[in-house]
Amino acid sequence: MKNFLSLITAFIAIAFIALPLLAQTDITQTIGQQQATQVVRIGIPFPDLAQGLDPQMINNTFFAPLTRDLAASGVFAIAPLPPGVAPTPDLAKRVGALYLLRLQVITEGEDYVVRGRTIDTTGTELLAKGYRGQATTLTKIAHMLANDLMKMVNGPKSAIFLSQIAYASDRSGSWEIWLMDWDGGNQRQITRHNALSILPSWSPDNQRMVYTSFVAGTSDMYIINRVGGGRMRLRTGLNLNTSATFSPQSNDIAFVGSVNGNPDIYVIKDDGSDLRRLTTSSSIESTPEWSPNGRQISFTSGRSGSPQIYVMDAEGTNVRRISFEGEWNDDATWSPSGEEIAYTSRVSGRFQIRVANLITGQSQVIAGEGSNEQPTWSPDGKWLAFQSNRTGRWQIYRMRAEGGDIQQLTTAGENKDPDWSKKAE
Amino acid sequence: MKKTVKAFALSLVIVSLALVPACRSKKTQEPVTHPETAASATVPEVPPPPVTSTTTTVAPPTDFVNEKPVQEEALPADIEELNRVAQERGYIADAFFGYDESALSSEAQNALQTSASWLKKNGQYNLLIEGHCDERGTEQYNLALGDRRANIAKEYLMTLGVDSARIRTVSYGEERPFDPGHDEGAWAKNRRAHLVLVGK
Repeated sequence: MKNFLSLITAFIAIAFIALPLLAQTDITQTIGQQQATQVVRIGIPFPDLAQGLDPQMINNTFFAPLTRDLAASGVFAIAPLPPGVAPTPDLAKRVGALYLLRLQVITEGEDYVVRGRTIDTTGTELLAKGYRGQATTLTKIAHMLANDLMKMVNGPKSAIFLSQIAYASDRSGSWEIWLMDWDGGNQRQITRHNALSILPSWSPDNQRMVYTSFVAGTSDMYIINRVGGGRMRLRTGLNLNTSATFSPQSNDIAFVGSVNGNPDIYVIKDDGSDLRRLTTSSSIESTPEWSPNGRQISFTSGRSGSPQIYVMDAEGTNVRRISFEGEWNDDATWSPSGEEIAYTSRVSGRFQIRVANLITGQSQVIAGEGSNEQPTWSPDGKWLAFQSNRTGRWQIYRMRAEGGDIQQLTTAGENKDPDWSKKAE
Repeated sequence: MKKTVKAFALSLVIVSLALVPACRSKKTQEPVTHPETAASATVPEVPPPPVTSTTTTVAPPTDFVNEKPVQEEALPADIEELNRVAQERGYIADAFFGYDESALSSEAQNALQTSASWLKKNGQYNLLIEGHCDERGTEQYNLALGDRRANIAKEYLMTLGVDSARIRTVSYGEERPFDPGHDEGAWAKNRRAHLVLVGK
């Protein structure tokens, strides 16, 4: 799939420099192999630009992110277009596209205005929408437009291009919480504790995160909003306060607390009230994660002699083990459908991402170089982000949930603990 | 006065040495705690058990408590320097663990016994125990494992008579390795309960 990405990049470059049409069949074939039943071919001519706008700048900040989103979607295939031909229904027919997306970018004062119109081969207008913002928002507009196209052909849940990945990075000199767009763009620091701050986890509405920081000399949970404000320390009276995770259905937060060296799974309300203990085993319990309907919680326990994945009802009852392969399993996380669990599983001495189907009981290892840990699902369940030290340093990667299309999202410093925002937006 | 203190310390060492095998076999045995407690600042509230009667005649606990602690050399005032010196001179020593283990080996128990003796004679410091793990586990489970290691060390120090109010624990899991290497030599150094002296 690397070829696919480079082909797309090459095509985009070619389209803009208005060179003759090349290699269109290669591109569509590659996509067709993956999503043969769903792919919608769409032609996207480079935008009409108001006079004075720099095509290179519009390409880098707007057009390239837009076409990358759609090309990666598995829903759209971008039809290469011959240069200098008017974007008419006839052109769409000629390149075998179902749709044409006509774009226009103009400026009004400090603002950029992007207009997008989608037509089919009969010339019928399906989606006409305008977007406005300053130059710094052009990439966000690209993701919004890609989302609108996804909603048009595939429903709202597949519109993930504005989703965010929270993670921990040490690039500022200490581990802090950072955010980035789904494609690794727009990386920005959210906390400034100047102290070890790790394991961010999103609230179900994508508005807040909970994480663990050692800023007070103890390890504590903090809640913060998505722009880094409104920070609140959750006082539990327990040690550890790690692996915190919001319930998808209530204002509960599950986490690992410890009394006298016995780590167990606890739940507390997001205002710090109503602390409840869910596990009472004398072994180590760790890493809780809610099922999407909030009725079950997966966790890691050493009760069998090695760390394994278990599932219990959200009240702490009905505990059953679900991982039986591998001598060390941790980091379980539920797919948005609730049918699969991805987790970190040691295979032949190295950690790999394993995806287990809860209905069939079958599991599959998605093997990669180095250690690969802490998987997190995209809101549509099509992708997994994870951390890998395959380059010798911890970095965050994204791949398709069945493996493949691997892309490195971070490069500065070391980066870990990815958590993908829960809601498509 | 110094002589009597030294004599007391010596007799105390003899008493504790005689009791070491008992500590190893069962860390919660009562006879270990009482004579050791006699040397700590809380003694006046604790009725001295019969075993200590010989030592109390040498130096009454109240006199001992008012005395400056016995030191070969002066301790640095700077807390970081103090910790370096205390580890270097063997006043306090870290407890090391096996892979995915939180049980105390006999070496780890020895290290904590040494540390407990010194801590009880130097009541002006509190103790932070950091639990650490090697990089081979997963981050989240290792945080829990580090918590267990730090607390096992804390419990043993309490058994040896160090006041629990003086000890705090924190787990760093695999976040702060002592040795950044990726071999067993490094990993062995990174699986530890690290003792840090802190001011009161």
